[in-house]
Amino acid sequence: MTRQRWAVPMTVVFMLIGILLSLQFQAQNRFASDLTMQRTENLIAMVRDLSEKRQKLAMELIDLNNKLRTQTESDRDEKKLFDSLKEELTKMRIVNGTIELKGPGLQILIDRHLPVLYIDIIHIVNELWAAGAEAISVNDCRITGSTAIFYTEDSHSMSITVDNVKLEYPIIIRAIGEPNNLEKGLTIPGGIMDNLALFNAYPVITKVDEQKIPAVRGRQQFYFASEYKPPEKPAASPAQPATKP
Amino acid sequence: MWILPVMGLIIGVLIGSALTFQVPVAYVKYMSIAVLASLDSVLGGIRAIMEDLFDSTVLLTGFFANALLAALLAYLGDRLGVDLYYAAVFAFGVRLFQNLASIRHKLLLNYRHKKQRNRGEQQ
Repeated sequence: MTRQRWAVPMTVVFMLIGILLSLQFQAQNRFASDLTMQRTENLIAMVRDLSEKRQKLAMELIDLNNKLRTQTESDRDEKKLFDSLKEELTKMRIVNGTIELKGPGLQILIDRHLPVLYIDIIHIVNELWAAGAEAISVNDCRITGSTAIFYTEDSHSMSITVDNVKLEYPIIIRAIGEPNNLEKGLTIPGGIMDNLALFNAYPVITKVDEQKIPAVRGRQQFYFASEYKPPEKPAASPAQPATKP
Repeated sequence: MWILPVMGLIIGVLIGSALTFQVPVAYVKYMSIAVLASLDSVLGGIRAIMEDLFDSTVLLTGFFANALLAALLAYLGDRLGVDLYYAAVFAFGVRLFQNLASIRHKLLLNYRHKKQRNRGEQQ
């Protein structure tokens, strides 16, 4: 039983068995934690647990989807609102004449020698509005709700003014609208053109496919006017829901 | 005199746990039978030392051959549909306990022998 005979081989063998044991230990741990090695009851519990979790998550998903949908809808509504507001703004700008416009319509040319008074210009403009004109300008002066067409006199002549600006000849009245309708509105028998013809005044009417109408010069300020709101009735009918303001 | 093998065992365990190599789950079964066989060989070696019959060639060949053959037989049994795995577990298990029993026996005898001798010397 001398040491030299068995110590080295035993050491080698022990080392190998150590390696094998630890490897096997790890492997067995992994093997035991493998799903196929679990007990049936544990597996059932796990399945129940996981399906519960899954259900919860599915509910959450539905919830979040609903939220997303409502958000998208409200977003769309906002966009719609924004679009309609924009449209409204454009309309208001056209009406107020704050933007330059283009479109088909009519040009009426009145030369210096024609016997035309400021009242005739007013009549022509009125007739054009009545015939469905969407925008009118007189010599690059936009006609809006507050435009005044009048005349001034000085020592030797009389001239027509639009918003206190003297009109230079030739006077060109432009109107945007359906050209045929506008023309019919002016040349209707007994209309303004017939009326002017009595005075030998023959303005030249031309239909144009595209023309520009300038924006109004200067912006109108409102110092005194403000919106009138009718006072709220104190005794609201009980049928009305209280949430409405 | 047992310090060197014990150190070897500790070093082996450390190496084994430091190794990143992992035995595939499919081979864990064969690995386990190989470990059992080699454990039997080691215990056989210890018993041989006790009985003064130690032979390093027998130990080393037994260690490797038993482990490999046990694993191979278990694998073959699986392929053939015969559960040779259990045969190997049984055979090596029985041998393991026999070896353990004879080691214990021998240790006990040695201890008593020493004690008697000591007593004789004192007297």
